[in-house]
Amino acid sequence: MSAVVRYEMVMMLRKRSMWITNAVIVLLLVLLNVRGWDDVLRDPDVRETIASTVFLFNLMLPVGYGCLLADRLIRDTRLGVAPILDATPASPAARLVGKYLGVCAATTVPLAVVLFGFAAVYAVTAGQPVALAWAAVAFAVVVVPAVLFVGAFALTVPLIMPAPLFRVLFVGYWFWGNGISPTVMPTTSQSVLSPIGVYPNQELVGWRGDFTVAGPVPGATLNFLRPEATTATAWLSIGVLIAAAALALGVAQALRVRTTR
Amino acid sequence: MRPLPLWRHEVQRAGWTALLTPPLAVAAPLLIAFVDAGASASDREIAQNFFGALEMGVPLAAGIGAASLVGRDPAAELLLTTPEGYRAVLLRRLAVTVGWAALMAVLLAGTMVATGWWARWPANHGPLVGQLIWLAPTLGLATLGFLAGAAFRGPAAAGGLVAICWLVQQIFAETVQEQGWSRLLYLFATTRGTVPADWTANRITLIAAAAVFAAVAWPLLGRTERLLPEVTE
Amino acid sequence: MRIEISGLTKVYKGKGRALDGLDLVVPTGMFGLLGANGAGKTTLMRILAGLLRPTAGTVRVGEHDVAARAGRLAVQRILGYLPQDLGVYPDLTAREFLDYIALLKGIDDRAARRRRVGELLDVVALTADADRRLRGYSGGMRRRVGIAQALLADPRLLIVDEPTAGLDPEERIRFRTLLSQLAGQRTVLLSTHIVDDVAQTCRELAVLASGRLVFRGTVGDLTRQADGRVWTIVTPGPAPVSGTVVSALPHDGGMRYRVVGPERPAPEADRADPNLEDGYLALAQKAT
Repeated sequence: MSAVVRYEMVMMLRKRSMWITNAVIVLLLVLLNVRGWDDVLRDPDVRETIASTVFLFNLMLPVGYGCLLADRLIRDTRLGVAPILDATPASPAARLVGKYLGVCAATTVPLAVVLFGFAAVYAVTAGQPVALAWAAVAFAVVVVPAVLFVGAFALTVPLIMPAPLFRVLFVGYWFWGNGISPTVMPTTSQSVLSPIGVYPNQELVGWRGDFTVAGPVPGATLNFLRPEATTATAWLSIGVLIAAAALALGVAQALRVRTTR
Repeated sequence: MRPLPLWRHEVQRAGWTALLTPPLAVAAPLLIAFVDAGASASDREIAQNFFGALEMGVPLAAGIGAASLVGRDPAAELLLTTPEGYRAVLLRRLAVTVGWAALMAVLLAGTMVATGWWARWPANHGPLVGQLIWLAPTLGLATLGFLAGAAFRGPAAAGGLVAICWLVQQIFAETVQEQGWSRLLYLFATTRGTVPADWTANRITLIAAAAVFAAVAWPLLGRTERLLPEVTE
Repeated sequence: MRIEISGLTKVYKGKGRALDGLDLVVPTGMFGLLGANGAGKTTLMRILAGLLRPTAGTVRVGEHDVAARAGRLAVQRILGYLPQDLGVYPDLTAREFLDYIALLKGIDDRAARRRRVGELLDVVALTADADRRLRGYSGGMRRRVGIAQALLADPRLLIVDEPTAGLDPEERIRFRTLLSQLAGQRTVLLSTHIVDDVAQTCRELAVLASGRLVFRGTVGDLTRQADGRVWTIVTPGPAPVSGTVVSALPHDGGMRYRVVGPERPAPEADRADPNLEDGYLALAQKAT
C-alpha cells in the first residue's frame, strides 16, 4: 500500500493543472479583498487571523480540488492500466486506500504552501512567529479533514455518474452546504457536517469573528446538527467528516468489486 | 448546415453528461422551491428559487458541460485529420450542450410564464427580454468553460475553473457588486440583485464576454499539436 | 501521387529534434518506412497528415505544400489515415462509427454513405460483426475498422502507422495482403518497425534513425547490406559475443545461432543468405 500511496502522490503532484487551479483561486481571493489584506497582515490577534484566513481558503479551495479529483479513480480504466493493477497480488481494497491517501496527500501540498506561506508572511509583518504553529494546528484540524471528506466523495461518486455531472452537483452542494445561511433555507451549513470545519476552526483554532460560524442558529431548521460549539463537538465534527469519508470509500470498494466480478 | 445524422452522432458523443446535467442542475433549486412552499415561504421567495434554477442552475450545467468537451475524445487524432476539422466538431458539440441546457431553460421559463410564477418576481423584465436572465450567464459560463477546456485540455481543471467562478460570485456577491466593472460581469444580477439600472448593461456585457471567450478559444483549438492525445491526459 | 520532402526538421519544445533535415521522395505505390522506436516515423506521418507543422523544410504531397493551411486542407481531402494509437468510441457499433467518420469526411448523401460503409465492411471482412459495439472488438478487429475508416473517401494517399502492432499472425497476414491490394494507383505509406511487414508488401523503402534518413532504396538493396555478414553456428556453448544474434534455436543438444556481423563469429560458423531483417541490422551496425 505504501508504494501505491507514494506513486499516486507523485502522479498527482505532477499535474500542472492542480497547481494552476489553486493559484487561480488564491489570486481571486487576494484580489477580492485586496484592500483588506494590509489590515489582516498587521492584526495582532494571531488565532483570529489564522482562523479567518483558513476559513476563507477552506471555503473556496476545496471546489478546485474536488473537481480535479473527480476522475482519479475512473482514470485507471480509461488509461488501460486497470487490468495490470488487478493482476497484481496487492488487494483491491489496499490499492483503493493507497490511491485515496496518495491523492489526498498530494492535494494537501499546495494547500500547505498557501497556508504556511501566508502564516510566514504574517509572522514577519505582525511580528508573530507563533502564527506558524497555529497554522499547523489549523492545517491539521480544519484543512486535512476537508481534504479527506471531499477526496472520498470525489473518488466515489464518479463511479455512479459521469464526472462532469458530479462536478455540477458538487459545486451546488458546496454552496448549499457551506455558503448559505441556515436562516434562508434548510442546510447543513454551520453544522458538524459542514466540511469547511466551522466547529474545529472556532473551538480549536480560535475563530472569534463578527459572526458565529458554529452552533445552533435561532430560527433555523436542522439545528440538531448544530450542537453547542465546544472542544468536544469540534472533535465530533472532525470524526463525523472522517467517518463519512470512510463510508464513501466503502461504497467505492463495493462498487469496484461488483464491476470486476 | 450539416446533415441531421451528423448532429445525431454529436448528441450521442455528448452523452449522458449533457443529457442529465441540465435537468438535475435545474431540479435542485426547484426542489428547494417546493420545500419552501411547504414551509409557508412567500410567493416572492418561491419565485426567487424558480429564477435561481434559471440563472444559477442552467449556466452552471452549461459551463461544466462545455468544459468537458476538450481532452477526452479517444478518436481525436482521427478527427483532427478530417477535412472539416476538429474545431467544427467541437463547435457542434458545444451547440448540443448549450442547446439542451437552453431547452431546459425555455421549458422552465415557459411553464413559469404560463402558471403566473414569472410575474411574482419583481425583477422579471418581462417574458421576452427576461429570457436574458438565463441566456446571458449561460453563454458567458459556457464559453468560459469552452475556453478553459481549450487552454487546459482537460475537463477536470476546466470544470474546476468554471465552478470557482460560479462559487466566487455566489459567496462574494457583495464584493463583486462594489465595483462597476465587476458588476457588469455579475452572473446573478436578477436573483441576487444589482443596481437596477445596470441590469441590461450587465446582460449585454456577459454576452460580449462570451464572444470574447469564444474568439480566444478558436485559434487555440486550431493548433492541432496541442490537441494530439499523448500530450494531454 | 508523389511526396517530396526536403530538409524537413521538427523540433519539440523541451524534447529535442524528432526529424533532422530529412530529404525523401516517395513515389506512387506501396512504400515502406522502417526505423526503431523513436526514429521519427510517427512524427513524419503526422506532418504528412497535417497534424503537426514542420519546424523547417518543405513537404509537398502532389502539388500541395503541407506547410500552408490550404495545402494541408487539400491533402486531408485526399487522405486516409490510420494512426498508431487508433481510438474509437466503444459505445458505437462498427457501422455507426464508420457512418460518423464518413459524415465528417463529407459523404453527406445517406444512400451513398450506407453503400460505401457496407462495401468497406466487406473489404475488411467485418460485415458479420458490423452491428456489435466496438468495446467488444479484438485488437485486430479494431485495426480493420481503422483501415475501413481510412478508405471511406477513396483516398489517393493512405498513411498507415504501425498497422500490425499487436495483431496475431493470421490478422497480420490478412492486413498486409489488404494493404498491398490497395496500393494500385494510390500512394500507401506503411510505417513500421516490423521488418517482415515491409518485406512482404513493399518494393521500395526508407530507413530512419534519430530523425535522419539512413537508407533509401529497394528491398533488395537493403537486404544486400548484409551480404557476407550473415552466419549460422551450432554450438553447445554460450552465444557468440561478436555480431548481433538474430535467432537462437535448440538444435541437437546445443543451440543454432544466426548472427549478423562483419566477422566470422567462430571458425566453425557458416555463411548464410541474408534476408531483409539481416540487412536492416547490418545497416544499423554500419551506422554505429
